[in-house]
Amino acid sequence: MSPLLEAKGLTKHYGDTVALDGVDFRIDEGITGLLGPNGAGKSTAIKLFLGLLKPTGGSAEVMGERPYERLESRARLGYMPEHECLPPNMSASEFLIHMAQVSGIPPAQARTRTADILRHVGMDEERYRPIGGYSTGMQQRVKLAQALVHDPVLVMLDEATAGLDPSGREEMLELIRRTGRDFGISIVLSSHLMRDVESTCNRLVVLEGGQVMAQGTVSEFTEETQVLAIDVDEAHKELVVALKARGVDAKLEELTVVVEHATTEQYDSIREALVESNAPLRRLSQRRRHLTDIFRNSDQ
Amino acid sequence: MNESAGEIYDIGYQRYTGPREGRMRARKALFTNGIRTILGLGRGILPKVFPTVFASIAVLIAVNFAIVSSQGIPTDDLPDAAVFYRVVAYFMVLFSAIIAPDLVCPDRRSNVIHLYLVRPMSPTDYVATRWLAAFAFTLAILYIGQAVLFSGMTLGADEPLDYVRDNWLDIPRFLLGGLVLALYAATIPLAVSAFTTRRGYAQAFIIGLFFISVPVTAVFTKCEEFEEQQRGEFMEFVEVKCEPVAGTYTKWVALGDLTRVPVHVADLVFDKENSSNLSRLVRELPDFVPVGWFAILIAGSGFTMWWRYQRIAL
Repeated sequence: MSPLLEAKGLTKHYGDTVALDGVDFRIDEGITGLLGPNGAGKSTAIKLFLGLLKPTGGSAEVMGERPYERLESRARLGYMPEHECLPPNMSASEFLIHMAQVSGIPPAQARTRTADILRHVGMDEERYRPIGGYSTGMQQRVKLAQALVHDPVLVMLDEATAGLDPSGREEMLELIRRTGRDFGISIVLSSHLMRDVESTCNRLVVLEGGQVMAQGTVSEFTEETQVLAIDVDEAHKELVVALKARGVDAKLEELTVVVEHATTEQYDSIREALVESNAPLRRLSQRRRHLTDIFRNSDQ
Repeated sequence: MNESAGEIYDIGYQRYTGPREGRMRARKALFTNGIRTILGLGRGILPKVFPTVFASIAVLIAVNFAIVSSQGIPTDDLPDAAVFYRVVAYFMVLFSAIIAPDLVCPDRRSNVIHLYLVRPMSPTDYVATRWLAAFAFTLAILYIGQAVLFSGMTLGADEPLDYVRDNWLDIPRFLLGGLVLALYAATIPLAVSAFTTRRGYAQAFIIGLFFISVPVTAVFTKCEEFEEQQRGEFMEFVEVKCEPVAGTYTKWVALGDLTRVPVHVADLVFDKENSSNLSRLVRELPDFVPVGWFAILIAGSGFTMWWRYQRIAL
């Protein structure tokens, strides 16, 4: 199956500054995170795929086409920028009808699509009010809606949760998950927030310093470790003592007893230590790695 | 008690399977949006005032000319299609100075232009459709005014059919003259507006550019043809020979009044003498000079506008 996006030796220079240095990666259907710190080359990559920039070398292909050579290919792409991009004097409804037409949808269908998509992003009566009076969360929803109104195959979201409070952020992430899962629209989520990417995406491309640092499925990045986490309601210290007495290297991290380099042979010792210390077991699980751990390790 | 007649189900997200009309639909949408912006549709009262006032002025001037023409004054002295453009040109410049920044500055200020340019639309498409909206609206107002004027003069003539037979050449002339004026009014203000995101700055600059050129050109091209002289116990005005400040270059400097540049070309189209000082001076130049100057201003502004939008940083 041909990829939705494919970078082949993709290079972009701004004068002497190298934004992307001969990167190769592909993005298939699903929700893919484009992760990296500020200046990693994420936005440059998105602009190259949108056809807003021409590569200095290599190619950026969207569904087998180069968007900077064929503008029509952009009709199946959606883009939600990080910065403000909404006209304050227009209503969301009027604006989306206009943007659907700018994407090539005829006027009658543009009106129907607008009504549908505003309902899906949770905009009710406020859709008829000028956008200038919206909260940040509502504006983010309209930004997402304009990226989806023409039913793209792929939508690129640049820092989609920027400026949102925790609940607004979770709502937006849920909306993105629903777009990828229920709407069948593939998503590239560019973000520097690892938690957002980890909780939303199923694939990941990590950029740093204009190069691909890693790529793969999120589950590959967050695979189980040999660290065993034992959550008990009480008698934490007694459990640690009982484990150490059986030769198990255990330590207390806040309210979790952690056993590093746990082996299957040690499980019997752990069970015995739990019984001896009389600690009520709540959960025993192998810890998964978090993206933050990976980046922390790469920094060191 | 009422019983429910049916149930509502959420059928979920539906993929779009209808037609996609691509780049041409995008251009049409942006053109229509431009016309709506000019007319102030979907906004408050104030944005609707300017186009209404401009259209009313054009029509009122045409009606006034038509009424004057029906008073039986000898034909040569009547206001006609050429005079109509000379008068309307001032209002047209003022109007375009107000609407041109309204068309493009908010798109850049609110970054909506970024959303346009990631769709099947190039910067050239964007500039061309915005320009076309300004051009089409200005042209429509000019043609409506001329149509009212021509109809009024025809109906006011003693023999309407004879009037049409004798003056039918005015029709292609006012069509061409209107193109010249609308081209000018749409291009230069939009080129200036491409350099700022602030509507107010652009409007002030365009109005300043046009209307400062009027007194500046006048200072360099006019001379007091009359002066006060003592005659016995009385002062009286006496016509004297004088030399303008610009000396032998005066007829060239006369091209500097930016509000009159398209009018000089329109006068050539109508092949009518204009009694104003500037027009008399420009008439001393070969015909290709005012036409060439007009072409340079349009081509220069058009290229500048195009070049500016190729370099929009996204």
